Amino acid sequence: MIKEALAAQKEGWRFTPGEALTGPRFEPAGMPASQPPLGGRVLCPVGFHRAALVNGRWESKHALLKLPNGVSVESLSGAGDLKALLAAALPADLPLAALAAAQAKDGIVVRVGRHVRVDQPIHLIHLAESSANRAEAAHARVLIVLEPGASAEIVEEYAAFGDAPFWSNVRAQVVLAEGAALKHYRVVRQGAQGRLTVALEAEIGSRARYESHVFNLSGYFAREDVRARMAGEGAEAHFNGLALLAGSEFADHHTVVEHAAVGGITRELYKAVLDDKSRYVFDGLIHVKPGAQKTDAQVYNKNLLLSEDARVNTNPEFKIFADDVSCKHGGAVGQMSQEALFYLRSRGIGADAARRLLVYAFGSEMIDRVGLEPLKSALADALHGRTPEAVEAKS
Amino acid sequence: MLKITNLHAKVGDKAILKGLNLTVKPGEVHAIMGPNGSGKSTLSYVLAGRPGYTVTDGKAEYDGKDLLSMDPEIRAREGVFLAFQYPVEIPGVSNKYFLKAAYNSLRKHRGEPEMDAGAFLKFIKEKAKSVEMDPAFLNRSVNEGFSGGEKKRNEILQLAVLEPKLSLLDETDSGLDIDALKIVANGVNKMRDPKRSFVLVTHYQRLLDYIVPDFVHVLSGGRIIKSGGKELALELEKKGYGWIEDKVAA
Repeated sequence: MIKEALAAQKEGWRFTPGEALTGPRFEPAGMPASQPPLGGRVLCPVGFHRAALVNGRWESKHALLKLPNGVSVESLSGAGDLKALLAAALPADLPLAALAAAQAKDGIVVRVGRHVRVDQPIHLIHLAESSANRAEAAHARVLIVLEPGASAEIVEEYAAFGDAPFWSNVRAQVVLAEGAALKHYRVVRQGAQGRLTVALEAEIGSRARYESHVFNLSGYFAREDVRARMAGEGAEAHFNGLALLAGSEFADHHTVVEHAAVGGITRELYKAVLDDKSRYVFDGLIHVKPGAQKTDAQVYNKNLLLSEDARVNTNPEFKIFADDVSCKHGGAVGQMSQEALFYLRSRGIGADAARRLLVYAFGSEMIDRVGLEPLKSALADALHGRTPEAVEAKS
Repeated sequence: MLKITNLHAKVGDKAILKGLNLTVKPGEVHAIMGPNGSGKSTLSYVLAGRPGYTVTDGKAEYDGKDLLSMDPEIRAREGVFLAFQYPVEIPGVSNKYFLKAAYNSLRKHRGEPEMDAGAFLKFIKEKAKSVEMDPAFLNRSVNEGFSGGEKKRNEILQLAVLEPKLSLLDETDSGLDIDALKIVANGVNKMRDPKRSFVLVTHYQRLLDYIVPDFVHVLSGGRIIKSGGKELALELEKKGYGWIEDKVAA
């Protein structure tokens, strides 16, 4: 069934190795036999509001929720009144989201009331734990609803453990009402057999501001499909992404941003660092609809190749049906600058350290955009920890 | 300090240096002048170890050691410094971090403990002041968006921080207005001492009004064809390079 669904998506899946999802015979994941404590297994420090799904099911023992008035974080079962949102029609080109909607047993629902500012970040943890020696899949849903004028910071962490193939498939929906502001971070850290597919739909109201950051730090296969709709006047969205890839890892960022109202702003920058035989796909479409005048949109993708065998397919693109707009896009795929490398070495910095420094410098632009301090330093450490060996081997 | 004997080098397939000899003693300042394409920048790059430049014959001894067999970073740690004609922009690496990494790699090489961030910050702020650089530049990415003059000043800041024994200045005067030139020259002059040597590679005599050399050499066709005192530079300025090249050819 998945095979047919993906086969029907010729264009959007042209460069994506769908075998990662259609190859293994995935069985529905059960709950793992034992659950080690969270400490050390998540990147983000404890101390935030916290909720967790384990293999797609709400796990109350990991929840830490002393929420202020007007804020709720609950299991999907508590979201009966969000029927319309839950049943919202899906674009035909998101077959995996439809699968998630049909198969999900559970999910997380975050709601922030009118003009409420959440006092501290909300940490949503998706743990995938393969307990059996067989391929397993878990489906889940995430709903994030901010009422007018509300603001929040949400960190979603996708962590996968175990040696057997595990596929997490998520349908996420974000609704920002007028004047709402959300900073939405997603961190992907999976084991060598982890597969993750996320379809993220965002509806951004007038003068609302959505800031999205996705960090792919490890994992066999990860694909994120963003569908954002700039629905109200003056809506603003920022999409930032960084993928660090090595071995035979694969990551894919597909975004479609639809400007449907006047004066919307979109800024997109995705970067990837590729070593060994890793692969990265970027496809960023900005669609300016008739009447969406004064749209100001930019979409960029920049890639650093550390190996001859790594591969990138990049496609930043616009479809513009309004005449008074400012739209810029660009894609770049390059190797490490030999000039910069020599410059650093000529100052006494060893060749290995110089390479690490340049990889770090390339990636750090995305980390510098993270406003949340503990997450920022955890990501900086992850970037430091991720660059050395892979790079040193080349010297 | 530096003894270059019969140096031949090529870039790609093109022979550029064709039997260059030069001896620099501690405390001396040498100027190497020559027309475009004479091999001035090649000499600087060969001595600093830039990949792509192949030595085909001859040798260069630095403090009695074989300079040409060392990796670029080892040359730097041993006290050789090249001030680039075109300093490289490195987005994402702060000037401060870059200087600290460089400085500590030199200290480590000498068996000294690394300097911690706090002490280093104080140290480079002083150094920045000595080359009249706004400390705000320390927090910016290395050379990114710097003007030509700011880049050259940043080279001199690195020189002041790393305190090399042998400094090679490649066209450091190019693209500088007179005020910037004075600041750069002043930075170099403060560093002059009996144990430190400088090789100034330049097309124009102008720089030598501010950094007065002990010796002037004319490089042409990949060899030094004439050497003299500082008065040679003035003569070149007046008569042009053709005058010597013709004489040598005759």
